[in-house]
Amino acid sequence: MKNISYLFLAVLFAFASCDKEDETPAQMNVEITFENTLNGNPLELNQENFTLPSGEPFMVKKFKYYISNVVLTDTESATQYIENDSYHLLGQDFNSVIDLGMIPSANYDQITFSIGVDEVANSRTDQTGDLDPNNDMAWNWNSGYKFVVLEGEFTHQSTQERTGLIFHIGTNSNYATVTLPLSGVMAGKASSIALETAIDELFSNPNILAPSNMASTTVMGGPVADQIGQNYAEGFIKAN
Amino acid sequence: MRSLIRYAGWMMAGALLYSCGESESPVAQGPTPISLEKPDYFSDQQAMPSDNPLTEEGVRLGRMLFYEKKLSQDGTISCSSCHQQEKGFSDGLQVSPGVNGTLGTMNAMALSNLHWQTRFFWNGRAVSLEEQALLPIEDSLEMNLPLDEAISRLQDDPDYPELFQAAFGSDQVTSETIGKALAQFERTLISANSKFDKWIRGEVELSPEEELGLELFFTHPEPSIQLRGGNCGDCHLGFLTSGDPNGIAGFHNNGLDSDEKLKSGLEFVTGNPFDKGKFKAPGLRNIALTAPYMHDGRFSTLDEVLDHYNEHIQNSETLDVLILEASNEALDPSKPIKLYLSAEEKQAIIAFLHTLTDEEFVSNPKFSNPFN
Repeated sequence: MKNISYLFLAVLFAFASCDKEDETPAQMNVEITFENTLNGNPLELNQENFTLPSGEPFMVKKFKYYISNVVLTDTESATQYIENDSYHLLGQDFNSVIDLGMIPSANYDQITFSIGVDEVANSRTDQTGDLDPNNDMAWNWNSGYKFVVLEGEFTHQSTQERTGLIFHIGTNSNYATVTLPLSGVMAGKASSIALETAIDELFSNPNILAPSNMASTTVMGGPVADQIGQNYAEGFIKAN
Repeated sequence: MRSLIRYAGWMMAGALLYSCGESESPVAQGPTPISLEKPDYFSDQQAMPSDNPLTEEGVRLGRMLFYEKKLSQDGTISCSSCHQQEKGFSDGLQVSPGVNGTLGTMNAMALSNLHWQTRFFWNGRAVSLEEQALLPIEDSLEMNLPLDEAISRLQDDPDYPELFQAAFGSDQVTSETIGKALAQFERTLISANSKFDKWIRGEVELSPEEELGLELFFTHPEPSIQLRGGNCGDCHLGFLTSGDPNGIAGFHNNGLDSDEKLKSGLEFVTGNPFDKGKFKAPGLRNIALTAPYMHDGRFSTLDEVLDHYNEHIQNSETLDVLILEASNEALDPSKPIKLYLSAEEKQAIIAFLHTLTDEEFVSNPKFSNPFN
């Protein structure tokens, strides 16, 4: 990882040295924005007008997730930008932007990132910033981080009772890496990469979950957590 | 790794001090900037308000105002009457008497580690410590002194104008600078030397009972995978054991009352019926010293608190879903909400709560009455 960053520094200086003649600035400002959706609509917390793929009305109270190890690739020139110390806690009514700042210019056409926290960071809780265990994403001091948190309530179809639905998904096996094609990122131009999360995808594809049929509506580990992990590994985050 | 982070912190602090010392040395006047003495495991991300940086002179003045009885109508009480250091800055009473013995309606909140909190009072009606600090002075159930009167009393005092001059560059007392000084002192009330802190720093071991209590405290139960939990850490987060500082996320309905008896709480501030019955999740530092408990002081012991969360949750429309859902046995919606902790598990959580007592904090001379 370090070697690659040094390579970039070298590339960066190379660009910088011929900056005056070159039309393309050596660096470009890039941010990644996240919009959260449910059933195709922009998510709002504590609002009743949302429906799960199962058809059950669902009110979301908390939605947070870690995005880590962000890499941008220009497949034409085989240029890569690898963000150092790349851990970002995002969420609804919380943080919705990853600001990469000034990075080496390239026509990046691919983004790779992971949902969750890698094994190394997940084995420690003495960290600061977005991995600060004082935020509500550390389980405790032994068992690492929650990667994806969804909390909300629904009316149980059989009991007609107000029922909580709690997904706290973590553990190293549910660390999922995603690669998406990008369009519109041009070398030298400030870019905002718009990504979208779809909460529906936690409940479907490939594993279908209907809260009223779940044996436990609290999911913090075990086979159902792994099913949700499989669900978010694909299709949960898309380019907007 | 912990020590690595610490060294990096010291180096940065050193570099900062060095550069400040160089560039600011010609300016001898003005208050002396200081930084919070906090452990490295308390977040760095909570910024100091830019219009009220911490200074030696501001903290000194704030400490005097905190213990100043002139700030009450009849000169009988000060902030410290209801926030007594030896009781973790609480008062041991269900509700507190104001001037003339008028009883308030809420339990006096314990004070510590306030820099990491963002909304104050049980219902969150103040968004800064600066704002919070002024309200009890004027409150008719508390100190009952109009701010104008408070200002003129301090202005007419032989000592205070000079102290305001030193802290804020003007000898004219204002309500703004009274609030700022009190807030500065309150930010210095950092409790970080309990047994729990020493355990975090690797200096002591917890007893097996305390360790079980810690595990239970920070675990949300999930019976399907045999994960037992006391469900406390869902609201009392991390090392600080205080509420989520983001927006109103640190306010919860913790099942004290059914719908019919639910008080307004956060709804008073947001106007949203969805927030009815939600109150601030306080930090639990020094909790063994700050009885009675809850916003109305209804529980006099920690045993009663544990019994409440374990066996006596009242369901309502706004009951927190993390309580609604929490049980150590498979949920049966036809039965009342219960955690199903054993008596031993409840005692273990109480043993852990006692490790949050910080004797140094409650006897630190820096926080004591400066008039004694």
